[in-house]
Amino acid sequence: MINFNMILIASFLFPLLSGVLLFAIKEQADRKVTFAYTGLSLVITGVLNMILLFADSAEVKLITLMNGIDIVFRLDTLGKYFMGIVSLVWILAGFFSYTYMKHEKNEKRYFAYYLIVFGVLNGLGAAGNLITMYAFYEFMTLSSFPLVLHNQKKESVMAALKYLFYSFFGAYMALFGLFFMCRYCRTLDFIPGGVIDQVAMSGHETLVLVCICLMIMGFSVKAGMFPLHAWLPAAHPVAPAPASAALSGIIVKGGVLAILRVIFYIAGPEIIRGTFIQYLLLTLSLVTVFMGSMLAYREKVLKKRLAYSTVSQLSYILFGIALLNPAGLTGSLLHMAAHAFIKCALFLSAGAIIFNTGCTRVDELRGIGKKMPGVIWGYTIVSLGLIGIPPTGGFISKWYLASGALSSGIKGFSYAGPIVLLISALLTAGYLLPVTINGFFPGDDYDYENHKTIKTSFYMIMPIIVLAILSVLIGMFPNGLTEFIGSITGEIFNTGF
Amino acid sequence: MEIMRNFPCISIILCMCSAIVSSALPGKWARRLNVTIVLAVITLSGGTLVYSLAKGYETVYKMGRFPAPWGNEIRFGVLEAIMALFFSGILLLSVLGGSKKLKEDIDNFKENLYFVLLDLLLSSLLALIYTNDLFTAYVFVEICTIAACGLIMASERGRAIEAATRYMIYAQIGSGLLLFGLCILYDITGHLLMSNIKTQVIILASSGQYHIPLVISIVFIGTGLAIKSALFPFHAWLPDSYGYSPVPSAAILSSLVSKGYIFLLLKIFYRVFGLNIIQESHLFNILLIFGLAGMIFGSVSAILEQDIRRMIAFSSVAQIGYIYMGFGMGIRSGMVAAVFHIISHAASKSLLFISSAGLTDASGKNKTFKDLTGAAYRNKIAGAAFTTGALSMVGVPLFSGFISKLLFAKAAFETNAMTMVATLVCLAISTILNAVYFLKTVARIYTPATTEYETIRFKDNIPFGVACILFIILNLILGLASDPLVEFINRGLMMFS
Repeated sequence: MINFNMILIASFLFPLLSGVLLFAIKEQADRKVTFAYTGLSLVITGVLNMILLFADSAEVKLITLMNGIDIVFRLDTLGKYFMGIVSLVWILAGFFSYTYMKHEKNEKRYFAYYLIVFGVLNGLGAAGNLITMYAFYEFMTLSSFPLVLHNQKKESVMAALKYLFYSFFGAYMALFGLFFMCRYCRTLDFIPGGVIDQVAMSGHETLVLVCICLMIMGFSVKAGMFPLHAWLPAAHPVAPAPASAALSGIIVKGGVLAILRVIFYIAGPEIIRGTFIQYLLLTLSLVTVFMGSMLAYREKVLKKRLAYSTVSQLSYILFGIALLNPAGLTGSLLHMAAHAFIKCALFLSAGAIIFNTGCTRVDELRGIGKKMPGVIWGYTIVSLGLIGIPPTGGFISKWYLASGALSSGIKGFSYAGPIVLLISALLTAGYLLPVTINGFFPGDDYDYENHKTIKTSFYMIMPIIVLAILSVLIGMFPNGLTEFIGSITGEIFNTGF
Repeated sequence: MEIMRNFPCISIILCMCSAIVSSALPGKWARRLNVTIVLAVITLSGGTLVYSLAKGYETVYKMGRFPAPWGNEIRFGVLEAIMALFFSGILLLSVLGGSKKLKEDIDNFKENLYFVLLDLLLSSLLALIYTNDLFTAYVFVEICTIAACGLIMASERGRAIEAATRYMIYAQIGSGLLLFGLCILYDITGHLLMSNIKTQVIILASSGQYHIPLVISIVFIGTGLAIKSALFPFHAWLPDSYGYSPVPSAAILSSLVSKGYIFLLLKIFYRVFGLNIIQESHLFNILLIFGLAGMIFGSVSAILEQDIRRMIAFSSVAQIGYIYMGFGMGIRSGMVAAVFHIISHAASKSLLFISSAGLTDASGKNKTFKDLTGAAYRNKIAGAAFTTGALSMVGVPLFSGFISKLLFAKAAFETNAMTMVATLVCLAISTILNAVYFLKTVARIYTPATTEYETIRFKDNIPFGVACILFIILNLILGLASDPLVEFINRGLMMFS
C-alpha cells in the first residue's frame, strides 16, 4: 500500500527543496552536472505526479495558520488534471532548456527557480482550500518573477516588474473578496458545487456577488483577460524561450485554475448563473478573444505574436467557464490541456529559431522551413491544432466550446460566442501560418545559393515533436481525456443544490 | 512559584541599576552588561508569563507593601508578560544586528552612554507595561522620551540632531497633553491608581457628574499618546528620526518605543475608563478615521520616497495606522488584532531596519535606491532578510503580516456596516500600496548593478547575520504558528477587563 499523503507532500516539497539546494551547490565547471541534477529532479517529480494520478484520495493538513484557517492539501480530479498537464509540459520544456540555456548566463539560478516554480505549481494544484491556494498563487508570482527577468536587461526587468505589480494587484483584489468569503462560506475547503452558506448570504446577495466578482477579476489578471492583460505581451517574450514556453503554457493556467476553483468549488455555478458576473465574464472573455487575435495578427515579432495569441486563447477557456454548463466546461478543460501543449511547442519552436539563427521577426523567417525542417514541421502541426483543424486537439476543444455556447441558451451570447470563435480561428490561421508558408515556400527570389540546413540539437527538437504528437493524440483519441473530464464536470454539476 | 511574582519589579530595577553602573563602565563592558541584563529580562519575563498563565488571573504587586492610596502598584497578567518578553527580545536582536554599525556611528568614548540610554529605555518600557499607577506611567513616559531622544542623536551629526530636536518638541507636546489629561482625571476622581480611578469613573459616568471634564481628559490622554506614537497626522517627526538615527535606534524606536505608548493607551482604555465610556466619548471613531487615513497616507508617502530608510519609516506610519484602526473598531477582536499587529510589526519592522543597514553598507553607505541596485548580491543575508520583512509587510501568506491582516479583516465583520466597508477597503488599498513600494525595492536590490561596491560576506559581520536569521525565524513562526499567541492575547485581554 502506497502512502499517497506522503507522495502528495513530496510532489511539491521535493522540487522546492531540490531547487533551493541547487542555490547552495557551488557553480559547476561542467554544465552537464547542473543539468543532470535538474533533469533528475524534474523526472522524479514527474513520476511522483504520475503516481498521484492513480490515487483515489489524499489529504494532508500541514499546519494551522490560525483558528479555522489551515494549510491543507487535498487531491481531487481537477487538481490531478492540472498536475498532469504541468508535469508533462514542465519536463519537456526543461529538456529544451539544456541546449537553449547555453547562450544565457546564470544557468544555475535559472534551473533552481525552474524547479521551485514546478513545486509551487504542484502545490497550487493540490491546494485543498482557498487560503492554501491563495498562498501558492502568490508564491507562483514571486518564484516565476526571476524567470522573467532572467537576462537582466532593462527591458526584461521593467517587464518583470510590470508582471509583478499586475499580478499582485489582482491577487489583492482576490484577497479582498476572500476576506468576505470567510464569513459567507460554510468552509473554505474546495467542494464541487460550492460552499456558500445560503443562510448567511440571505440579505447580502449583492455583497457576496461583488466579492465573487472581485475574486474572479483578480485571478483573471494572471489569465491575461482584458482589461488587465497588458503585462502578458510584455513579460512573456522577454524571458528565455523555454521559460516563456512554461509561463505561457502553464503559469497562466494557474490563474485559470484559481478561477475554476472560485466559480465551481467555492461559489457554485448556481449562484453565478444569470447574474452580472456571468455576463461580465462572457463579454470580457469574448472581447479578449477577438482583441488578442487582432493584436497578434498585427504583431511582427514572433514571440510577442505568440504572447498575444496566449491572451486570446486563454479567454477561450474563460469563455467556456463562463457558460456554466458541462459542455462549456469540458471544452475549457480540454483547451487547457491542448493550449498548454501547443503554446509550449510554439514558444519552443520560436526559441529554437532564435537559438540557431538569431531571427526574431516574422519577416526574417523566409526559408526557415528549408533550414530547420523538423522544427517547422512541429510548428506547423501545433499551429493547425491551435487554429482548430481536425483531427488535432484544438478542434475537439473548440467543438465542445461552440456546442456549449449554442446549448447554453444565454441570449445573444449563444450565437455571438461561436461567431467570435470562428473569426478568431481565422485570425489565428492568419498569424501563425505565414511562418510555415514563407518558411517552406520562400519564393523564387530566395537565395538558394547560400542555403544550408541547420542541424538542430536533439534536446531541442525532441520536446517540440513530443508536444506536437501529444496535441494530435488529444484530437484523435479524446475519449480517455473526455471521460476523465467528465468525472470533473459530473462532480460539479450533479452535487449540491 | 510565588517568587515569580517579584519578577516584573526585579526586571525594572535591574535595568535601572545597570544604567547607573554602565555610566561608569567603558563602552565594551557597558555593551556586555546591557546584553546580560536584556537576557536576564527575557528570562524573567518568560517566568512572569508562565506564572500568569498558571495563575489565570491578574497579579497585583504592592511595592514595599504599602496599601493603595500611598503605595505604588504593579499589575500584570498574560498580556503584559508577552509584551515584556517580545520587547526585550526584539531589543536584544536589534542591538545584536546593529552592534558593528554602532561602533562606526558613535565616538568611542561615548559608547557606554548609548548603552546607558538603552538600559533606561528598556526599564521605562517595562515600567509602562507593568505599572498600575498613572503618575508612574507619566514619569516613565518622560524617561522613555528622553532616552529615545538620546538614541536618535547618538551619532551627533547633521540631520540627526535636527531630527532629535523635532522629536523632542513633538514628544513634549504629547507629554504635556497627557499630563493635562491626568491632572483633570486626578482632579475629578482623587486617585492615581488605575483601579481606584476606574471605580470613581464608573460612579461619575453613571451619575452624569463632571461629564465634560471626563471627556476632555479622555481626549487629552488619547491625543497625547497618539502624538507620541506617531499616528497620522502627528507623524512629521517620524521619518527624519528613523531615517537619520543609528540603525539599532531606528529599529528600537519604531518597533518598541511607539508601541510602548500604544500599549499604555490600551491599558488606559481597559483599566482606567472601560471600553463603554471610551465608546461614548467617540474617541474610537476618531482613532479609526485617523488610523485609516494614516494607512493610506503613509503608504503613498513611502512610494514617493527615494531613501530606503525613510521609506521604511513612512511604512511605519501606515502600520501604526493599522494598529489604531484595530483600536478604533472598539471591540475585543479588533483589540486582539491590534495587539497581534504590535508584535508582528515590531518583528518585521526591526528586521527591515537592520537589514537595510546591511544593504546600505554594501552600497558605499548610500541610502538612495539608485545606489542600492544589486545590493542583495553584495550582502546576501541582508537581501534575504529584507525580502522576508518586505513579504511579511505586504502580507504574503505564511508570514506574520498576513495573519494580522486576516485578524483585522475578521474583526471588521463584527463592526457595523460603515466601519466594515471602510476598514476593508482601506486594508485592500493599503496592501496594494505596500506591495508597490516594498516589492519595487526587493526587485531593485536584486537587479544586478554596473557600479562596483565591495561585497560583504556572512563572516565579516557575524552578529548581524545571526540577528537577521533569528529575525527571519521569528517572522516565520509568527506567520506559521500564530494560534498560541492569539490565544494568549485573548486571555490577556480577558484579564484586563
